[in-house]
Amino acid sequence: MSVVLSAEKLVKTFPGVRALDEATLTVSAGTVHALLGENGAGKSTLIKLLTGVYRPDGGHIRLAGPDGLREVRFAGPQDAQRAGVGVVHQERNLIPAFSVAENICLQHLPRRNGLLDRARIRAEARRCLDLLEVDIDPDAPVSGLSVAQMQLVEIAKALSADSKVLLLDEPTASLTGDEADRLYAVVRRLCERGHAVVLVSHKLEEIFAVADTVTVLRDGRSVAEAEPLAAHTRGQIVDLMVGRAYQEVRLTPRTPDPTAEPALVLAAVATAAGHHDVNLAVRPGEILGLYGLVGAGRSELAKALLGLKQITAGEVRVHGKAARIRDVGDALRRHRIGYVTENRKEEGLFLSQTIARNTAVTVWRRLSRLGLVRDRAERALVAEYADRLGIRLASPDQLAGQLSGGNQQKVSLAKWLAADCDVLIIDEPTVGIDVRTKAAFHELITGLAGQGMAILLISSDLPETVTLADRIAVMRDFAVVGELVNDHEYHRMSQAVIRLIHGAEEAA
Amino acid sequence: MKNLVRTNEFTLAAVAVVGFATLAVATDFNLLTAGTMDAFLSFLAVPMVIGLAQMVVLAVGQMNLSVGVLTGFCAMASAWLMVDAALPAPLAVLAALALGALVGLLNGLLVVFTRINGFIVTLATMTVLEGLRYGVHGTGTYQGYSPGLRAVGQASVLGIPVVFLLALAVAVVAALFFRRTVSGRRLLASGGNPFAARLSGISNDRALVLAHTLSGLLAGVAAVIVVAAFGSVNASIGDDLLLPSFAAPIIGGVALVGGVVSVTGTVLAAFLVRLVDVTQAQFDINRRWVDLIIGAVVLGAVLLGRARERLTGGAR
Repeated sequence: MSVVLSAEKLVKTFPGVRALDEATLTVSAGTVHALLGENGAGKSTLIKLLTGVYRPDGGHIRLAGPDGLREVRFAGPQDAQRAGVGVVHQERNLIPAFSVAENICLQHLPRRNGLLDRARIRAEARRCLDLLEVDIDPDAPVSGLSVAQMQLVEIAKALSADSKVLLLDEPTASLTGDEADRLYAVVRRLCERGHAVVLVSHKLEEIFAVADTVTVLRDGRSVAEAEPLAAHTRGQIVDLMVGRAYQEVRLTPRTPDPTAEPALVLAAVATAAGHHDVNLAVRPGEILGLYGLVGAGRSELAKALLGLKQITAGEVRVHGKAARIRDVGDALRRHRIGYVTENRKEEGLFLSQTIARNTAVTVWRRLSRLGLVRDRAERALVAEYADRLGIRLASPDQLAGQLSGGNQQKVSLAKWLAADCDVLIIDEPTVGIDVRTKAAFHELITGLAGQGMAILLISSDLPETVTLADRIAVMRDFAVVGELVNDHEYHRMSQAVIRLIHGAEEAA
Repeated sequence: MKNLVRTNEFTLAAVAVVGFATLAVATDFNLLTAGTMDAFLSFLAVPMVIGLAQMVVLAVGQMNLSVGVLTGFCAMASAWLMVDAALPAPLAVLAALALGALVGLLNGLLVVFTRINGFIVTLATMTVLEGLRYGVHGTGTYQGYSPGLRAVGQASVLGIPVVFLLALAVAVVAALFFRRTVSGRRLLASGGNPFAARLSGISNDRALVLAHTLSGLLAGVAAVIVVAAFGSVNASIGDDLLLPSFAAPIIGGVALVGGVVSVTGTVLAAFLVRLVDVTQAQFDINRRWVDLIIGAVVLGAVLLGRARERLTGGAR
């Protein structure tokens, strides 16, 4: 197979970090190439170099042209796009108010007599969508699409410039299993047409199902270069990523008291977001998993609990007493309920502020004397939680934006632990987090429950839910369609959960 | 040490020292004579405080277009209280501060309850205040009020004008507020990321109202300085304060999107702008050139901020 993209000995240094240290990536036409590595291994940096976002400090990038491989130097993202490298970043890059077609053609809107040529925009968009064999109306506004559809539009957009190489960074992070399968069917079709796809994902099951070859990055170097994936087991790949033999973590077994009074009860709750007749209870020391498809209304339920969406019927009880929660401050200070958001960057952290500020934001009042926050107390608090949660930081004064994803998530959790909550709602704790940190997180969450915290775990990761939860409530279309006692037998539990989701489908 | 050198504040301080020294030499050290120094610092007090008044709202990602006119309005009102209503000076001073805070509070409440952008709300209140300012005494001038207040306005301690010391004290309090108080930190948190702030139990509405109220209060402080130091006030006061109010924080490295403030930077930038002013006076340069220079520096500061962000921010 012919090589379409070859990156050799790429080096990229940021102040204080050598993000890439002679990393090499060779991608052939018609293949899906997995790019793996832990958070901070340099995957994102590599992608940004290949797409012209950053310029390399060393090494070179070659692309296949009519006369073989030729070295390219991208002045910017458009340059890379024009050269045939398309990318779908982890973050959404669509304009909600524009139509699907306008979004797809955004980088090179066809013009006639100086005005937009709507017919050609539509035709071009249609061509790209047809390549993917998906049925999305080019005239529909993007704001009305589902997350999965948006992802497909992003891919169509990346293809619109005749990309030979398509880079997908965590394309299924917010998709359900079914949606991911459909997305990968599209990816396979693109390969059959001769495109090369570079796939970054933390979900190893998916990688093994769809990828042909693999490059593993560790500490900015390639520790496996374009090797056939079939030659490796999952364990070997994880070992390569982690750099030492990886062991499945044995979680400390817990036995929550089934007779304890629930810390949090939802009785026949309905909300302005559209929930109806939701009944849930979490006891101290217990982890209740709230599983469901994306869009089932789980995060919205959490937000209604915190007073961010109105509760229109039913009752919320905290430690047996009916509670009217007005806002997060109220939830935190009066009822000791914390919420770790799924969007740590957008909603969980103050990226332009220090780790110390981010950790102590919920407890400044407690840390102050005579109206002034005691810096020393704040630093001590950060040191305590950095130690407890294993947050790797250079100094408490480091900006939160400079931390890796896993460490950011830990900081986002630390502020609730500091606030001494007894009920913690954790929303998608390990999305976009590497294997080792994920295991550490699981241990952490179990440990918190072990200390008597009541935990409501919202997760779209079924293995995660089955690993952690004592009971699993399944949500669909803003209602709880069933609740299971978890026996931690993955095969049986996952089938039961899927049946619940499907049963509801048939009944509807 | 290396980190200190890289800060915006360090650059500003270096430019300030070099600029000051150059001007001192260029004026044959006329700048360092008691009279000139006194004027230099006295006239620095208002730009400093007004810059901080703007900085406080920038901290929550808002703008206050009414700061300048509000200063003029508060100055006129307190002069009226002393001259026409024969109120003692301390009460007139308190009234100016209260009036400033009240208008600021009103700005904040309007922003929160109407959900209209602060830029537009303060544009409206600015226009209203412009009218009110003339309503106090038409185009007339108040002077000859409270000799005691005038004396304070002209007094110096160890050769440093009291009004400048007052402005410095305000800056120190502002710095302490943002660095160490719960309210100040919440304000910055809200400005830095309102979504995260809300999910951390911080009321963004409260932060907006507080920021606008403090901004109004600081405009009141500026008004008191004007009344005390100038000895006469009329309805044109405040007209030329809007650009300086933005120039100081923006050159000083305060983020327009909110969440990051720099009291030191704002004070140093006000000093630099003052330096340009004095240069103009010393060498009899056309006044318009000064506005052009300040405008260009503001634009340059914003561009520099962007470049800095790209160099340091985009890592991984």
